Amino acid sequence: MKNPEILMVDDNPADIDLTSEVLAQSEGHFRVNSVNDGVEAISYLRREGKYVRAPVPDLVVLDLNLPLKDGCEVLSNIKADPCLAKIPVVIFTSSEANSDVTRSYKMGANCYLRKPGNLAEFVAAVQSMAQFWLGFASLPKRERR
Amino acid sequence: MTEEKDAAHVAAQASSKLQVLLVEDEPADAELTLRALRQAGFEANADLAQTEEEFTELVRKHCYDVILADYKLPNWNGMESVELLRREGQDVPVILVSGALGELTAVECIKQGAADYVLKDHLARLPESVRRAVRERALRQENRQAQEELARSNRDLEQFAYVASHDLQEPLRMVATYTELLAERYQGKLDANADKYIHYAEDGARRMQKLVQDLLAFSRVGRQGMAIESTDCNVVLHASLLNLEAAVQESGAAIESAQLPVVMADSSQLIQVLQNLIANAIKFRGSVPPLIRVSAETKSKEFVISVADNGIGIAAEQMENVFVIFRRLHARAEYPGNGIGLSICKKIIEQHGGRIWVESGAGQGSTFRFTLPAQATTKGGYGQNNEKS
Repeated sequence: MKNPEILMVDDNPADIDLTSEVLAQSEGHFRVNSVNDGVEAISYLRREGKYVRAPVPDLVVLDLNLPLKDGCEVLSNIKADPCLAKIPVVIFTSSEANSDVTRSYKMGANCYLRKPGNLAEFVAAVQSMAQFWLGFASLPKRERR
Repeated sequence: MTEEKDAAHVAAQASSKLQVLLVEDEPADAELTLRALRQAGFEANADLAQTEEEFTELVRKHCYDVILADYKLPNWNGMESVELLRREGQDVPVILVSGALGELTAVECIKQGAADYVLKDHLARLPESVRRAVRERALRQENRQAQEELARSNRDLEQFAYVASHDLQEPLRMVATYTELLAERYQGKLDANADKYIHYAEDGARRMQKLVQDLLAFSRVGRQGMAIESTDCNVVLHASLLNLEAAVQESGAAIESAQLPVVMADSSQLIQVLQNLIANAIKFRGSVPPLIRVSAETKSKEFVISVADNGIGIAAEQMENVFVIFRRLHARAEYPGNGIGLSICKKIIEQHGGRIWVESGAGQGSTFRFTLPAQATTKGGYGQNNEKS
């Protein structure tokens, strides 16, 4: 895939920075955009207001614990919207709770990834996520909207 | 019954008001009974119940200090009031005040829960009997309150440990990953002090992560219910050794085990207990390779399982301390760890209705023993317990 677009939804700037850095240093020419809460995420995806020119992401990387609208709600909004439902969503969160894992998959998450607690594993997790979803996996063709 | 020595307490009781429920069909007898109490200094207020219906209605409506029941009534007997109170969930002492009551009947009544019995022609004994029954109930209530209080504070503590450790993980992860990133990018590029500081920060963050994870594991023992089932301790031992494979190989430990019993327990919790005990036996080894013996003994009502090692042992004055959470007996540089392992063992074993202790001496190796009841009892969990109580 050429210049894959990633939307990262996370309220922790430290995680956005680290993820962006890891992706910037890998070979995929990823373009990472980020928003910090659930309401912004939906505006971005629906290209409302200031996001009218926002690119359609090829992958959404979504935290669960978000202000205004939590990750699960964002996920269910995405999966209920015919225009957005085909975009793969990777849940990327620090929650280890089995209930969160189960609920996310039931609601249509494409993958659940826990944020590892140390740098080496964090880097590996982000790299393999990008490599798999934006390298090996076949994704729907981008459409002009 | 033991003699009461607390004279002040008795005096305070003697002058106190007393709400009495009389279960009696003879008004004259009721009058005599009350007179005996009033003469002894009680300000007794009494209601009278002659039938089961009246009795039920009255105990539901009022709080009585004591119930004085005739054993023989036309339609029911006084002992049924004991059963009725139990069903109502009320702890009110019942003293049988009766005509001649055979020795056997009397003993049977006490067994079934009557506080005492007093013969109608020995009413002089009644005041002391009432005093004792009232006092005993007060003690029972204090005891119950203390236990409820303790259970509540334990629950609060567990909840706190869970929330704290859960919410601590997120910011901690940031500290840990970014100090690592700092180390990776800038190690050797600043000065020697900077390298040292970064190392301290990294080490601290890593240790705190382990601590938070262990604390979470500790709080989970009480939070999650137990799945009590028939559990083969030989299988449990095997599973815990698999988890410790690296440590066993690295230390050259030899593990000997006797035939172990089948117990009623939560197998995954039991694996954790044996695993923690054996891991400790390996960690606190002496100069020779560890030799660890796991054995079991069957006593009348319980199994005693022992894990004995040839390690550095524990000084006598420290033996109580090893099960206390966060308590460590050695410098971190000598033996790493955060002092949660044995407190988890203790919590698990006590939750199964057992006890855990250690026998040791400095330089003599340690033997940790724990008991498991031969029949499953559970505290706090929701294990199956088919026994009738």
